[in-house]
Amino acid sequence: MLYQWRSVLEYLPDFLRAMGLTLWITLLAFALALVCGLGAALARNSKNAVLRLGAGAYVEIVRNTPVLLQIFVVFFALPSFGLRMDAVTAGTVAIGVNVGGYLCEVFRAGISSVARAQREAAQVLGLSSRQAFISVIAPQALRNVYPATVNNLIQVLLGTSLLTAIAVPELTGVATVINARTLLFVQVFAIALVLYLVLSNALSFASGLLGRVLFKPPLEQVRPGLWPVRRARTITTTAEVAA
Amino acid sequence: MTATTAKEQSIASSIQLRAVTKAFGSVQVLKNIDLDVASGKVVVLIGASGSGKSTVLRIMSGLETADSGEVVVGDVPMHDPKRAPEIRGHVGMVFQQFNLFPHLNALGNVTLALRKSLKMSKAEAREVGLRCLERVGMQDRCANYPSQLSGGQQQRVAIARALAVNPRIMFFDEATSALDPELVGEVTSVMRSLAADGMTMVVVTHEMGFAHRTADRVVFMDDGVIAEQGSPEQVLKDPQHPRTQQFLARVLEA
Ligand SMILES: Nc1ncnc2c1ncn2[C@@H]1O[C@H](COP(=O)(O)OP(=O)(O)O)[C@@H](O)[C@H]1O
Ligand SMILES: [Mg+2]
Repeated sequence: MLYQWRSVLEYLPDFLRAMGLTLWITLLAFALALVCGLGAALARNSKNAVLRLGAGAYVEIVRNTPVLLQIFVVFFALPSFGLRMDAVTAGTVAIGVNVGGYLCEVFRAGISSVARAQREAAQVLGLSSRQAFISVIAPQALRNVYPATVNNLIQVLLGTSLLTAIAVPELTGVATVINARTLLFVQVFAIALVLYLVLSNALSFASGLLGRVLFKPPLEQVRPGLWPVRRARTITTTAEVAA
Repeated sequence: MTATTAKEQSIASSIQLRAVTKAFGSVQVLKNIDLDVASGKVVVLIGASGSGKSTVLRIMSGLETADSGEVVVGDVPMHDPKRAPEIRGHVGMVFQQFNLFPHLNALGNVTLALRKSLKMSKAEAREVGLRCLERVGMQDRCANYPSQLSGGQQQRVAIARALAVNPRIMFFDEATSALDPELVGEVTSVMRSLAADGMTMVVVTHEMGFAHRTADRVVFMDDGVIAEQGSPEQVLKDPQHPRTQQFLARVLEA
């Protein structure tokens, strides 16, 4: 028994390297998702019909087709149109674009959750609608959507495991390779599980700290729970309260 | 400060409404409203819920547009859509739910328009802001966020915020209706001191004590029309219109 663990732990450097790649892909894909989500949210609220329709189509397509299929499209199909990317880049792009569609709707809900009364108070005070958006609406919307946005960050992390399908050496992929080599699936997947928990708790802890710095008066701390289920529940209830 | 301002602007802080109508969808909310407020006067609007009081204030402050009729606030013809936006920043509005900006502290709330709209320097805005907070007795709480203040304190900050841009006219829409009874006094006393300084005010309120002591004129609205108006003494003590009598009986009972 002990010796089984020992032989799996010999692979620890491989696990850690894979964990690093998982974190790296998560952060890049999430950054892309933020850009896509914010752009699409502004486009969907814009006066320009072309922008509105384009952003609407993007959100509908991305949210109504399987992520795995989207990953395959980016990796296998785009090269036929001259867009060739290595597996890590393709996976990062696919996940970022996918989650951007969800973030778009989160951001839109956040903007409309700021009461009309706030806009009106700003208007009577003499602020232009642009000034009101920047100084009154956006800061409150950002605060309202923060918990849901952090939730999406965790979704990105968990979603990177799908990149196994295009042979990205991230945590899940590396675990399956080590499993095939050692056939110690209990030990191998237990380690992978623990490493995912470490990553997700670290990310939500860091987001909680950032939230405290970012928002005045401070956002109530979303306590990182050991079990993702409990944390997801905390985050959604906070999001509902905020909305 | 305000006293001299009111004098300087004595010509430009009156209000005239002529034959004003407003419908929301198929509901005729205002039917032919005529109202005059001379500068420096305090007019109290009373009437049952849904009679159109807020709509009148919202039209005068530029948050709604009248369907027909003439609305002149200060020297801005509000019925002219091109010129209506000129009113922004020249009148103050105090809302029932305060509508403070929750992400800014008291001073931040008061100085936002000074910085963004009047382009004051940070130091200048801070000085004006603190003076306005002092005016409502809230300078000690300038660093508090709205969620850290009582309702009465929030409403006083909201009044300071409205005063900061140096408005010619102030509108109050049930400014004390959301407050616990023991907090009403601190807000009405600020409103009374504004009136004493010569601010032109249109006040929607259910505080008959305030109406009686402070109003120059009381206007009773009923179902989109002005049913009766006159001095507080006349309207509150000796109402002529049966609807006014009913309304007052109900309010004084409560
Ligand atoms: N934005 C709106 N859309 C539709 N109906 C409205 C709107 N604002 C007010 N109303 C209606 O207009 C009537 C008068 O409203 P209001 O001016 O708020 O009355 P009061 O302030 O005297 O209670 C009410 O019947 C109300 O439901
Ligand atoms: Mg009202």
